[in-house]
Amino acid sequence: MIMEPQIEGILDSYKPGNVHFDEVFKEYKKPKEHYQGIVENFNQLTLTDYERINNEVKNSFLNQGITFAVYAEDKKPDEQIFPFDLFPRIIPNEEWSVVEKGVIQRNKAINLFLNDIYHKKLILKDKVVPADLIFSSKNYLKDMVDFTPPGEIYTHICGTDLIKHTDGKYYILEDNLRCPSGVSYVLSNRLALKKSLFDLFNEMKVKSVYQYPEQLFEVLKTVTPKNIENPTIVVVTPGMYNSAYFEHSFLAQKMGIPLVEGRDLFVDKNFVYMKTIHGPQRVDVIYRRVDDEFLDPLCFRKDSMLGVAGLMNAYRAGNVTLANAPGTGVADDKAVYNYVPNIIKYYLNEEPILNNVKTYHCDREDDLKFVLENVDKLVVKPVDESGGYGITIGTTLTKEQIEQVKVRIKADTRKYIAQPIMSLSVHATYIEETKEFEPRHVDLRTFCLMGNDREYVLKGGLTRVALKRGNLIVNSSQGGGSKDTWVLD
Amino acid sequence: MLSRVANNLYWMGRYIERAEHLARYGKVIYFSSLDAPILKTYDRNFVQESMLYMAGIFDMKSTLEKDVLFTVGLDAQNSRSILSNVVLARENARGARSAISTELWEVINSYYHLVTNYSVDTYLTSGFYDFTQMILDKTSIVRDKIHGTLLHEGEWAIILIGMYIERVVQVISIINSKLNDIYKIEQAGLVTENSFEWTTLLKCVEAFDMNRKYYTSIPDKFQVLEFLLLNQSCPRSISNSLKGIIRYEEKIRIYEKLDSNTIGFKIGKLQQKYQYLTVDDFKDDVYGLLNYTHEKITEIGSELEKKYLSF
Repeated sequence: MIMEPQIEGILDSYKPGNVHFDEVFKEYKKPKEHYQGIVENFNQLTLTDYERINNEVKNSFLNQGITFAVYAEDKKPDEQIFPFDLFPRIIPNEEWSVVEKGVIQRNKAINLFLNDIYHKKLILKDKVVPADLIFSSKNYLKDMVDFTPPGEIYTHICGTDLIKHTDGKYYILEDNLRCPSGVSYVLSNRLALKKSLFDLFNEMKVKSVYQYPEQLFEVLKTVTPKNIENPTIVVVTPGMYNSAYFEHSFLAQKMGIPLVEGRDLFVDKNFVYMKTIHGPQRVDVIYRRVDDEFLDPLCFRKDSMLGVAGLMNAYRAGNVTLANAPGTGVADDKAVYNYVPNIIKYYLNEEPILNNVKTYHCDREDDLKFVLENVDKLVVKPVDESGGYGITIGTTLTKEQIEQVKVRIKADTRKYIAQPIMSLSVHATYIEETKEFEPRHVDLRTFCLMGNDREYVLKGGLTRVALKRGNLIVNSSQGGGSKDTWVLD
Repeated sequence: MLSRVANNLYWMGRYIERAEHLARYGKVIYFSSLDAPILKTYDRNFVQESMLYMAGIFDMKSTLEKDVLFTVGLDAQNSRSILSNVVLARENARGARSAISTELWEVINSYYHLVTNYSVDTYLTSGFYDFTQMILDKTSIVRDKIHGTLLHEGEWAIILIGMYIERVVQVISIINSKLNDIYKIEQAGLVTENSFEWTTLLKCVEAFDMNRKYYTSIPDKFQVLEFLLLNQSCPRSISNSLKGIIRYEEKIRIYEKLDSNTIGFKIGKLQQKYQYLTVDDFKDDVYGLLNYTHEKITEIGSELEKKYLSF
């Protein structure tokens, strides 16, 4: 008897991780309930179909300009797309509701904290947070002391990074309160997936993400300086060679507002103007994607070519709003992170909804001793870096490297924290080299907007995926990719 | 509109137009020459020189056809190649990304990727026609997106001013280049069918069919020059292009009295000159008129940049 060959679905070869929390599968070939529909759908595709769709999406990204340039000596810049995996991450609504509430709670408390440390400093006087920790931070700006931004809002846009541990619970990995990026990929990923897998959206009720630019615009309007009815709002970018330029132009374009560079602006009598073809036009609200230190050469780095001379004076005179406010970086210092649960209790009198990861601050004697003895079992992070830079993961280090990390920590104990190696959950991800789905570590960056009269959290956020097997660092600057993230109705 | 963004849009328009004219000229000259009436003496060097002249490349050492085609078309190191013009158009579009529509951006960006990833081997062996035709087709789509997806206000007007200024410059170059070709043929003592060169010139400006429809006769020198310089209805004539610049400059101008120093006055004056010019006025000195027009349009372009685009 001739047996017909059994045709397997493209996900049938997937072997779920048994060490890490698997987002998709309970066990081999058995998806979790909220993934059943999509796994069935994907399994109806042949590998050829899948690769064709994958290539279409890549082309779509290339044409949209969602790229970064790789420069090699003597060669023209090679434009590459940011890696995107077609298989979306799905978050059930009830699970998402908790995340959303937790993110709002956390960012509300952080905003109150910033207002306090730049004014009465009650939390420091009450010794809930050590004063030294704040005043020793390079991101604590004296120019912000006793100044109140419109609506008392400091962190208009917050990017909170979460992971899911082996216990299936979400943990906050870090807060990004300066210029969090990535939201344009959320919107672009969704667009790409809708174009290529439109049938799926008919079958599954996925919450929309397209309100984000509108919501951002409305939030920025709520923090307009006094007596301005129709504010001129702009996005400030360092320029088109900045790695996040796509995002800057994307957001400005979607909000229908100008994208300006520092050289397009000037300050006259403490008012900010942009140079238009018909002469100067006053600017009222600036969503700035330029770091604090480059904002104003008169206040911060004198060699800054990206900022605007006199901007801080105009800001402090109340004639222009900056979003986010300068000086918010003091609160996303990884050493302050440890105190956020206490900050939440202090200002809101509530228990934190989302968990922190246990953190050791090397500036504390006991913690330092523990960290130096256990570098090989810990993740060591500089407190003031982003993009995954400067992070070491103990289990991947050689003896020599461990000693080097210890030397670095001892040289500047304030600069380092350490955390247990958290086991980031894994998600089925298509690997082009093997032409198979394999488990890869993921995290989740949420985007929370805070205005004078509203809060908004983008439904789902950006799932970042470490494409290299076993890699725990998901940042795009370290070879990470992304996935569309669905919150189901 | 920001002056910097206006600057980007203006130059985006100019580079898009420039790439299109270069591609069309190259295509027409190259393929017309393959069955030219004086084929025996119409050697390949002649065609190559004409293409280089049009591109403004005067220091080319190699006379190999492949080298010339590469330099004019796909040489990234040559700032005057079609590829470089497309790259510059896209970089300017990127600098003004938030001011243009997603549709326009994606068309320009995909155009850029097509050109920059075009196989040099294919281009040099069998792809010259396809490549130049692709440039023309993509330009049409870009133009359609400019008209169809932008508000007919400042940004749109600035792009079109750039395109019309460049069109004047390019049409002058094309006429100059062809007059130069004909002069060289005459100097060499060669006799060509008279209509062939004028037909080729019309095709270089995509105006052959319109010309036949308008005159219903075989083209000759002054009929063609009248058409390309003075005709008010031919979309690429100098006269019509000047009208375009006036039309779009009015869109960005805020009210001002037109005195002799204003840009509006200067463009109007040049256009009026063309409106009341006849062939008899320039037949003895065609080069003089072309040089005068080139000088004036360059002056207008510089003043436009000074007034609106400086930042």
